[in-house]
Amino acid sequence: MRLQRNRFSASILLCIAMLGLVLTVTGCAQKKTKKQFVIGMSQCNLGEPWRVQMNADIKAAAAKHPEIKIIWKDAQNKTTVQQDQVKELVNLGVDLIIISPKEARPLTKPVADAIDAGIPVIVLDRKVEGDKYTCFIGGDNFKIGEEAGKFLVKLLGGKGNVVELKGLMTSTPAVERHEGFMKGIKGSQIKIIFSADCHWLEPDAQREMASALSRFPEPDAIDAVYAHNDPSAHGAYIAAKNEGKGREKRIKFIGIDALPHEGIRYVKEGLLTATFQYPTGGAEAIEIALKILHGQKVPKNIILGTRVFTRDNVDKGGQPL
Amino acid sequence: MDKLRKLLDIAGRLRGVLAFAIVFLLGVVFTPVSYKTGHSTFLNWSTQNDILFEYAEYGILAAGMTLVIISGGIDLSVGSVLGFAATLFSLLLIGYGWSAGGAIAATILSTAVMGALNGLVIARFRMQPFVATLGMMLIARGAAKWISGGIKVQPGARDWYAVQSGNPAVFDWMTSQTSLLSLRPITILFIASTLVLWIVLRFTRFGRYLYAIGGNEEAARLSGIRVGIVKVIAYTLCGMTAGLAGICNACRVTLGDPGEAGLTYELDAIAAVVIGGTSLTGGKGGMFFTFLGTLIIAYISKILSLQGIEEAPRLMIRGALIIIAVLIQQSRKE
Repeated sequence: MRLQRNRFSASILLCIAMLGLVLTVTGCAQKKTKKQFVIGMSQCNLGEPWRVQMNADIKAAAAKHPEIKIIWKDAQNKTTVQQDQVKELVNLGVDLIIISPKEARPLTKPVADAIDAGIPVIVLDRKVEGDKYTCFIGGDNFKIGEEAGKFLVKLLGGKGNVVELKGLMTSTPAVERHEGFMKGIKGSQIKIIFSADCHWLEPDAQREMASALSRFPEPDAIDAVYAHNDPSAHGAYIAAKNEGKGREKRIKFIGIDALPHEGIRYVKEGLLTATFQYPTGGAEAIEIALKILHGQKVPKNIILGTRVFTRDNVDKGGQPL
Repeated sequence: MDKLRKLLDIAGRLRGVLAFAIVFLLGVVFTPVSYKTGHSTFLNWSTQNDILFEYAEYGILAAGMTLVIISGGIDLSVGSVLGFAATLFSLLLIGYGWSAGGAIAATILSTAVMGALNGLVIARFRMQPFVATLGMMLIARGAAKWISGGIKVQPGARDWYAVQSGNPAVFDWMTSQTSLLSLRPITILFIASTLVLWIVLRFTRFGRYLYAIGGNEEAARLSGIRVGIVKVIAYTLCGMTAGLAGICNACRVTLGDPGEAGLTYELDAIAAVVIGGTSLTGGKGGMFFTFLGTLIIAYISKILSLQGIEEAPRLMIRGALIIIAVLIQQSRKE
């Protein structure tokens, strides 16, 4: 028994040593040379492809400027973790923080604390409350919804039945994409005959679309699907295909986000009729960051435009709206 | 030789402290220095204070969980009960404009009822704790979504809310630094609840009964312990700690999130208890060990986070840690 206890003590020591090794290997080369800017990037969640794209955009833009070094933080979709990570970046003494908050309210104070500590903060995609930040860069979900609505009116000739597959309706983007769409189809004879909260998730969208299809079984009952993101639109397409009546060929599927490997690919493959880009603002953030670090003035709020991708223009990079 | 044995024996008992010391040392060695001042970002009171603050919710949950686990049970519902408490507390405070004291009392009371229900089902109907609390896990999450109407409870979220803008004062107070070592009230609640439950476990008859039941339930019953009541009290206390942690959570994120507050927290709480050395089979362990377990998890997470290590290796390291802790436990049983 004594021996065994020794062995277990040895095993715990060994494992801690291994942990130490991992830390040394990953922790090496963190020394800072002169004239370098250290930027902390706090991403709320790298589980969503759109956010992975945002980080990729930032990385690509920063690669053109060797004086920039970026420290990446991923909050694993937890608000409290993101609060802590912003604090860590402040303690580390970075020169600038870029944050894409998981949630406006809880991140307001950590961002304000960073500003108080003399660190400029660029807020991406979701705003924080009040005006204690240096610059906000984001897309306009309402406008995207409105453009999608107008597009559908034109596509269907001002008349038709639409299924709306919403994003998580407790989040502002989903609410704005819905309200914008309602404004876009206003005055036309387009009716929303079925709508459901799909939480941005493809499996949920597939389930909800299957319900819509069985509730409206006539071949021409559904003319189009407006989904708040591309995975949901894709899920709807799959549901229609699985039904086995060939309705996926008749129904027009519209999505939002236009990521290279999702929406744009679906449009190229002819699954979706159109997708509307929701810009990540990653490249713009690095541009603005450099301006701030060199002491130049920057606007407080920057709203990015959108692009529509259809089969005709997808190879040319879409059409700005 | 005898002396060596004795030394090993003491080292064995102090294993938790030792592991904690090693982890702390790792923190000193491996955390990066500040770009501005050149000092370690780990070895200062502000970071230490942050760590105690950031893991307070887990620590409070783990303290309650320790009672249940020592009695030979488990409570999977604490994460959801935490979510329910965060939502109810925010709703009373923001929606109905209650005073902080009233909202805290009502919240703790209702989570105590949830815990008591767990205990009653387990004791009265001899249901397996795993199953009974799994049911409560879903019920509490559902209740959180139901009372809030499925939305995050925050100022201005509904027209009829009493508070339309600005934080309720208690939110700011709970996360502000007090004059006591600049500890935040949430941290103090963590330490205080651990201390209180340590006393309960160590110095009361109830505490001794818990060990007896966890060690051998039939023997405890035969020796005249009213097993049912003791269990109900244990689960009730566990529910109350979940309520307290929920209040802390709401103050920290300044809103009540029915969907995500406390999601999977029960697993972190169980991990903290197990790493501390309390046996899942019941009858062995203690509150101080759980406190160390929470700190060990907190420090390791913090070191990994400060190093910017990615999610994948982070999960693997934490997983390995839990397995090692359980291995050590098994060695002790022989």
